[in-house]
Amino acid sequence: MSTDSSSDRPVRENERLDSDGVARQRPAYTESQVIMTTVKVVVPFVLTYGLYMMFHGAGSPGGSFQGGALVASVIIMIAFAFGIDATRIWVSNTILVGLATVGVLIFGGLALATIALGGAFLDYSELLILNAIVELPANEWAKWGMETIEIGGIAFIVAGVLMGLFFLLASGYDPEADSGHTAEVRADD
Amino acid sequence: MTMITPLELTLFVFVLITAIMTALFRDVLASIVIFAAYSLGLAVVYTFYRAPDVGLTEAAIGAGITTILLLLTIAKTTRPRHDETFEKINWPAAGVCGLFALVLGATMFAFPAVGDPNAPAMTNPDVTVYYIENAYQETGVENAVTAVLAAYRGFDTFGEAVVVFAAGVASLIVLGREVFA
Repeated sequence: MSTDSSSDRPVRENERLDSDGVARQRPAYTESQVIMTTVKVVVPFVLTYGLYMMFHGAGSPGGSFQGGALVASVIIMIAFAFGIDATRIWVSNTILVGLATVGVLIFGGLALATIALGGAFLDYSELLILNAIVELPANEWAKWGMETIEIGGIAFIVAGVLMGLFFLLASGYDPEADSGHTAEVRADD
Repeated sequence: MTMITPLELTLFVFVLITAIMTALFRDVLASIVIFAAYSLGLAVVYTFYRAPDVGLTEAAIGAGITTILLLLTIAKTTRPRHDETFEKINWPAAGVCGLFALVLGATMFAFPAVGDPNAPAMTNPDVTVYYIENAYQETGVENAVTAVLAAYRGFDTFGEAVVVFAAGVASLIVLGREVFA
């Protein structure tokens, strides 16, 4: 599975496939000290950069689409290093689908709320009604509205869907049994 | 303005070679790895032309996530073994592609130079000039790209976000996975 590390490993496994004469699936997870150590060192920085990109997209290049992809790649790296099945149990499918759904709800909710207040779709000037709570000029409210849909909307959707696609592809389509059990057994030998 | 710097030339050659190699390699794994290098080169090209937002997206999605998803796909399926390294070139198809590239290339001379301040896209008072002059006063964000994406063209962005969401849900249903499992 960890095809990103050494160039000779896939060939070796391919040869084993050939000598068997059976198109058997490769072991789902091979423990590698190099990958685990690298991921442990790199992940905090990637996560920080992803969050920075999300929260700072209004003032610098980047934005929540890229930031969300980076945050998703953190989980994907962890899955590569410590086993996809173990990570899938840790980050359950429910959380990922929930993340994406909440993102759509926040984005759509804010957009529809401005319509309900009498403005247009995503009409941030309607947020001036919140001046009853905090006094801010119009462009500040627009900024906070944009931050809301960027961080609470797009980042949640992108991160949730990308992680979900990764785990979906990893588990693949098998209608009867989950492949996680056989993979665990094979990783032991 | 028409001078091509050595850095640009290197990038172009790199992107071109990796693109051709992606098509020529017979081994799927080799193709995927070279394709990732191609995406990374393209990301640097975008950044070089002052489009860091596009460059970041290309690096994160094109070079990163897409490569991982493609690698996962060959890990889950079988990778056929080939004796020859390169695909045989289909010369008629290559000829048609070359002609197409020539036709496209012939239109290149009609484009304004890169970064030309008098280019129509830069001088349009209703679009680019309006955004550059008013984005900060109206939306309070320094990155005009974000202002366009999240405020002026917010409805389009909502559509894009929902398309991503729908694609995720569709794959979930097609692969027959339960959500609450």
